[in-house]
Amino acid sequence: MAQAGVIKGTVPAAGSVERSMDGRISRIRLFTCIGLVAVWEIIATLGSYGILYNDVVPHIWNIVIAVGYELISASFYRDLGMTFAAHSVGFICGSAIAVAVGIWLGTNKLIREAMLPYLNAIGSTPKIIFLPIIFLMFGVGLESKMAKGALSAFFPVVFTTTLGMMLINPVLIRVGRTFNLNKWQMITKIYMPAMVNPVITGFRLGVAITIIGVLVAELKFSDGGLGYRLGIYYEQFEIAPMYAVILLIFALAAAANTGMTKLQDRVNRHMAPTTSKGKKARASASGGLGVVN
Amino acid sequence: MADILQIKNVSKTYDADGDNPVHALDGVDLNIAEGEFVSIIGPSGCGKSTLFNIIGGLIDDHDGEVLIDGREVDGAHKDVGVVFQEESTFPWRSTLDNVAFPLEVEGIDKAEREETARKFIQLVGLEGFENHFPAQLSGGMKQRTAVARTLAYEPRIMLMDEPFGALDEQTRMLLGDKMLEIWAALNQTMLLITHNITEAVQLSDRVVVMSYRPGIIKEIIPVDLPRPRTSEVIATPEFGTYVGKLWTLLREEASRGMAEAEASIAAR
Ligand SMILES: Nc1ncnc2c1ncn2[C@@H]1O[C@H](COP(=O)(O)OP(=O)(O)OP(=O)(O)O)[C@@H](O)[C@H]1O
Ligand SMILES: [Mg+2]
Repeated sequence: MAQAGVIKGTVPAAGSVERSMDGRISRIRLFTCIGLVAVWEIIATLGSYGILYNDVVPHIWNIVIAVGYELISASFYRDLGMTFAAHSVGFICGSAIAVAVGIWLGTNKLIREAMLPYLNAIGSTPKIIFLPIIFLMFGVGLESKMAKGALSAFFPVVFTTTLGMMLINPVLIRVGRTFNLNKWQMITKIYMPAMVNPVITGFRLGVAITIIGVLVAELKFSDGGLGYRLGIYYEQFEIAPMYAVILLIFALAAAANTGMTKLQDRVNRHMAPTTSKGKKARASASGGLGVVN
Repeated sequence: MADILQIKNVSKTYDADGDNPVHALDGVDLNIAEGEFVSIIGPSGCGKSTLFNIIGGLIDDHDGEVLIDGREVDGAHKDVGVVFQEESTFPWRSTLDNVAFPLEVEGIDKAEREETARKFIQLVGLEGFENHFPAQLSGGMKQRTAVARTLAYEPRIMLMDEPFGALDEQTRMLLGDKMLEIWAALNQTMLLITHNITEAVQLSDRVVVMSYRPGIIKEIIPVDLPRPRTSEVIATPEFGTYVGKLWTLLREEASRGMAEAEASIAAR
């Protein structure tokens, strides 16, 4: 009884501490944002008097207007479409191959030991050094961007898949054997669900890295795409539109990452409750133990 | 009653051709009658889990024979269900789906398998937690989920490797009563590995005492306490006699094990 009282007393207290923490966090974020805008505007104003960074830092309203122009211009959507196509085709091809290779490496120790040094070496090299080869092989067009995207997507996915395959809890496989699962059931009921989490983690990293890979290729050498658009504005010294494209790319990349994180959380919602909601569920489960016993 | 399980001269050496062969079991002979409740007790590392893996058909490179109904075991066997010592629930499945797993594998339709699963969830005292996931359960609750899952498979022989090791003494006793109820209701043959002398005496018809390195059967103690039994039996003087007898046997083993461990540390 006394114990129950203690628990009842601490839980709301912990909750309110968390809430006031949340409040402080969003206040700090707001002030940071206001501060950045203020500094930006000061530099921009100085610039327009020719004092500092002449014309490099446009006023924020000019950037906002430029964003508006981008959003109503057809050529922006053409470039967006090209980047999107390169990204999605590259990501899908690269990660599909990576999942297959990862499963193979995860299950075959001999091949894994043999191949891992190469994979590690290439995986930790900036893939930008392969750009000339890719341009030579695939040309200036969309194909080279897709190839670069695939190359970028491949490595994070192959590493997480291989590791996920190696780390499957062996006792779960023994459970499958004692219940007489056939090969197909082993794959669909044990290996696949156990692999979902590591593979999704790889996908999340892969999506982010593929964006970088495609943009770099577009910036370097291309006839379209958001990276190309950014490069053109830069070369023509159209500073406000350049910032507008940077902002839009930033927003798109952040949205993609948020989407993938949400997806991962959804998939993982039962695995390790780290969110406050999960903690609550765990607390209620251990609280319930007393009832059962 | 006829012997459902015969273990004949079973030996097992891990890494036999390697640099550090481990002689885990040496010439184990044991016959188990149908419907019997037998506990196996012995120092850590004496080969208890190894023996279960052999009976369950999960290890095949061993010497000697394991027979079920007189036929040699070859691979996993429909008549044998194993509850592993390690945490073994599927983290992506709810309690209900974990327990229904063996039935799902057998192709039993959803409504029917869930009904059966609920019955076994209730038997192990987990009602109300059907929709919880393992990450939301305590260690002991996860083990009970695993017990329920193997019960749902309805094997004739249940092998349970320290299923209640993660529980406090009181809960363990109450679950012991529950286990005896289940055993009486389902007519299964139960083999239980435990480190707990009280638990072994409380539940078993016979207690098998194993000794350390290589694992051999040191002695088999029949427990002649009346059935049906409940945990109240621990208050009787006969119970105390059995506990004392087992402790005497195990103390020698345990101190020998500790001495060997100390010697190997000193040798390093
Ligand atoms: N896969 C393996 N490879 C090599 N040695 C093993 C393996 N499994 C177990 N052993 C060794 O065999 C011996 C018996 O192990 P086992 O797991 O059967 O012991 P146990 O009696 O179940 O111990 P505990 O009570 O601690 O669970 C131990 O010395 C262990 O180190
Ligand atoms: Mg063991």
